[in-house]
Amino acid sequence: MTETPKRPKSNSRLIALCVNGEWHEVTVKPRHMLVEVLREMIGLTGTKDGCEQGTCGACTVLLDERPVLSCMTLAADCDGRQLRTVEGLAEGEKLSVLQQAFLDQGAVQCGFCTPGMLLSATALLERTPKPTTDEIKKALEGNLCRCTGYNAIVAAVLQASDQGVTPLMK
Amino acid sequence: MNQLNYVGKSLRRKDGPDKITGRAVYSQDVKLPGTLVGRLLRSPHAHARILRIDTSKAMALPGVKAVITIDDTKGIKHGFVETPRYPPDQEVLARGRVRHVGEEIAAVAAIDQITAQRAIDLIEVEYEILPAVFDPLEAMKPGAPEVQPTHPKVRAEVPYSNIGGRTATGWGDVEKGFAESDYVREDRFESHLRTHGYLEPQVTLAHWENDKLNVWTSSMGTFVKRAKLAKVLDLPYSAVRIHKTYVGGTFGGKIDLYSHEYCAARLSMLTGRPVRIVATREEIFSAYRHGQPLIMEIKTGVKKDGTIVAQQVRAINNAGAFRGSGVVVIFLAWGFTMIPYRIPNLAYEGLSVHTNNPVRAPQRGHGCPQIRFAIESQLDTIAEELGIDPVTIRLRNARKPREQLPNGDNVHEGGLIDCIKVAGEKADVVRRYGKGRKAGGTVRRGIGMGVSGYFGGSLIYPNGSGVIVKMADDGSATVLTGAIDVGQGSETVIAQIVAEELFLPIEDVKIVSSDTDTTPQDIGAWISGMTYVTGNAARQAAGNARDKMLQLAAQRFNCGVDDLYVADKVVYNRLDPAQSMSYRDIIALSIATRRGDTVIGEGFWRTMRDVPTHPSLATTKGRWSENYAFSCQTAEVEVDTETGEARVLKALTVHDCGFPVNPALVKNQVDGQVSMALGHAFLEEIMMKDGYTLNPTWLDYRMPTIHEMAESDDADVITEEYVVGKPYRTKEVGEGLVSGVLAAIANAIYDATGVRLHSTPFTPEKILKGLRQLERERRERA
Repeated sequence: MTETPKRPKSNSRLIALCVNGEWHEVTVKPRHMLVEVLREMIGLTGTKDGCEQGTCGACTVLLDERPVLSCMTLAADCDGRQLRTVEGLAEGEKLSVLQQAFLDQGAVQCGFCTPGMLLSATALLERTPKPTTDEIKKALEGNLCRCTGYNAIVAAVLQASDQGVTPLMK
Repeated sequence: MNQLNYVGKSLRRKDGPDKITGRAVYSQDVKLPGTLVGRLLRSPHAHARILRIDTSKAMALPGVKAVITIDDTKGIKHGFVETPRYPPDQEVLARGRVRHVGEEIAAVAAIDQITAQRAIDLIEVEYEILPAVFDPLEAMKPGAPEVQPTHPKVRAEVPYSNIGGRTATGWGDVEKGFAESDYVREDRFESHLRTHGYLEPQVTLAHWENDKLNVWTSSMGTFVKRAKLAKVLDLPYSAVRIHKTYVGGTFGGKIDLYSHEYCAARLSMLTGRPVRIVATREEIFSAYRHGQPLIMEIKTGVKKDGTIVAQQVRAINNAGAFRGSGVVVIFLAWGFTMIPYRIPNLAYEGLSVHTNNPVRAPQRGHGCPQIRFAIESQLDTIAEELGIDPVTIRLRNARKPREQLPNGDNVHEGGLIDCIKVAGEKADVVRRYGKGRKAGGTVRRGIGMGVSGYFGGSLIYPNGSGVIVKMADDGSATVLTGAIDVGQGSETVIAQIVAEELFLPIEDVKIVSSDTDTTPQDIGAWISGMTYVTGNAARQAAGNARDKMLQLAAQRFNCGVDDLYVADKVVYNRLDPAQSMSYRDIIALSIATRRGDTVIGEGFWRTMRDVPTHPSLATTKGRWSENYAFSCQTAEVEVDTETGEARVLKALTVHDCGFPVNPALVKNQVDGQVSMALGHAFLEEIMMKDGYTLNPTWLDYRMPTIHEMAESDDADVITEEYVVGKPYRTKEVGEGLVSGVLAAIANAIYDATGVRLHSTPFTPEKILKGLRQLERERRERA
């Protein structure tokens, strides 16, 4: 019989996150980033992990309705707080107006930036229902997209805010 | 009957709902119980002999399940190109020597990320540092350190000099051509090192279970990955299954086999547990494959009216430490030289030179933006010298429809002339050209034009695509296709074609794709031929299923198939309106009367079906493609002459993709390529010093953000058509359009300022330097 290894010292703690309206209790270490907890522990893989350097915006989620980079946010700091991820944008089968606009404008290609884009833009539309193009650019400046060239994404936000842009795709 | 309901329409993406709700499963999202974390040990040196590797401390670390080095492999080499002339040259882990910073030496599998990294740090490697070389011109000098001394020499009569590949070709007599020319000029251009910038990192999950390797990996073609993985693991193809996942961008950077893919597989085979390896963004920037920087020397002779008489091109590629696609880009640079314009006399030489830099991969356009930047820049200079406008000189040389190319290919209905005419008119080039320079002032505007041509599919493994269409009892269809959707929209395009051929609502077409066990082989999303090759296979498969159903109905109605028409999954007899039969009933009839035939259609397609293989990379002999796309792009720029900063106000792309199966998806491709060209022109550069990457993050490698969005207009010169039941010809639209616009930007900067840029990127420093030079020349003249 080999000797049972010594129980490791643990600095983990139990936290509770309200994600898309549901509470989740998870045990996290101080170093755990929010993106890891959402994706690996809670199982919400819609949030994407593109760089782990806080540079691409793919991991953007809403923390108390404000966009944050979940790869740069310590999970322990989110204890007791409200989070919204891409999985929480539609109500059942009913897509949000912004989600529908992304489909209508062809604002999705590979789709990897899409969850982060949708959340940054959702936060914008909730505080500024009719944003100007400059306001849209300001709100999405932290979200990289390599496929679209961004034109379709701006058009989608304009369509979602009912500013005279009609669907490009049927 | 050529009323099209689905093909030619801007329908929403099939994969859209998955992608906007977070349901889409990418390789990093696949979860398997008991998964281990893999990490790689990479070389800290650009060139060194490995004297000793000791993994014992790493192995002894609790939580470490396996450690591998080259000794744990079968030693089977692989390469992006595997031909008799260019045999596979890369081991899956370094053997005895490292040739670039970041080269993979060992891999570990452990219970978590931290343990895996600790184990990597515990591996001891003793190196003997060797002299290294990074610049291709230095590398060709006598006495330069030899990067691959055992590689076969490309020419017996000359020293190796790190020349790992050579393409030499041409026609006519260039010397005679230059002698007959009224004007000859020579220029040298350089392009810089850029990277793909796919948002999804390189990631592989491998699980060896019951003598079968299951793999989820971010790729551009699952069948190519299967072939290469099976080969280096020494497994039969049937023992390797690459599963379908969504792919978060590729742009050329995910086609070759990567060491991490092998290591995940091998570590899983050794541990019996799933192993995932995710590359960090820093690793991707500093150790993975980027595009190819070219040096291009161009000599062109023309007649007074601008007609090209002769052209001599020499392209030198900084190929990195292994062959990668370095020997392909020097072939392609020839191709992208000769497609758009008639060149009666051509002499081309391309050299792929090994240096102690990371290996190179294809990158969207694969040599085309580099060579078109050079040729189109020089063409504008020639035009100005001769007093010809940019539109006229291009029209004078542009290939006409149905013109035969010197390599034996034909451009068919190639619409380059229309592209140039439409672009010239829409952007009002002739009237505006030259105005910016004359107007003067601090902020100046200019307009420029660039042309390119691109091949649409060629022959390389797996050469052909098969598609199966299975009808379900209810009359809906399931399409099995190996095509992989990397964001370009292949699933949508294939669904549109199947819906059209089967007269089915598009909602009734389900796509099952890119799984090597359940779908037929496919050429993959990296040779610019998917809409043509896989699309025609899908058309044929759907048509095969349709014909089976229509024949049964015709028999039942006692009429000809031509007398039938279909509406909403019901077949009617035109001659007798009382006769009708639903797809559901026809399928039931087929099962009842045709020995259980459930109505399955099959189709397959191959480009250049009578050609055995791809053209020679060394001599370019042999057919290359049967589909050539053309484009003419313009850019309107604004240059601040005090700061040297330039920006694109408006880009216009006029292109010939045959016909658009989905115009909105085509527009997506145009916009994405214009954006990428803007990054090429102004923002992006991998900065390297002594083999180390200095800017391995998006903070310092500046990709276009939403603030750098360009106004991008486009127009499609439609030269082909889609007819139900007949083969069609589409042309490439996803790669070539990064090229002409880059040249157009350079030409527009010249138009605005008089500064002719001979290298990318078009930085404020270069523009200011050029302006100062012009100022000095002006003063000297005065």
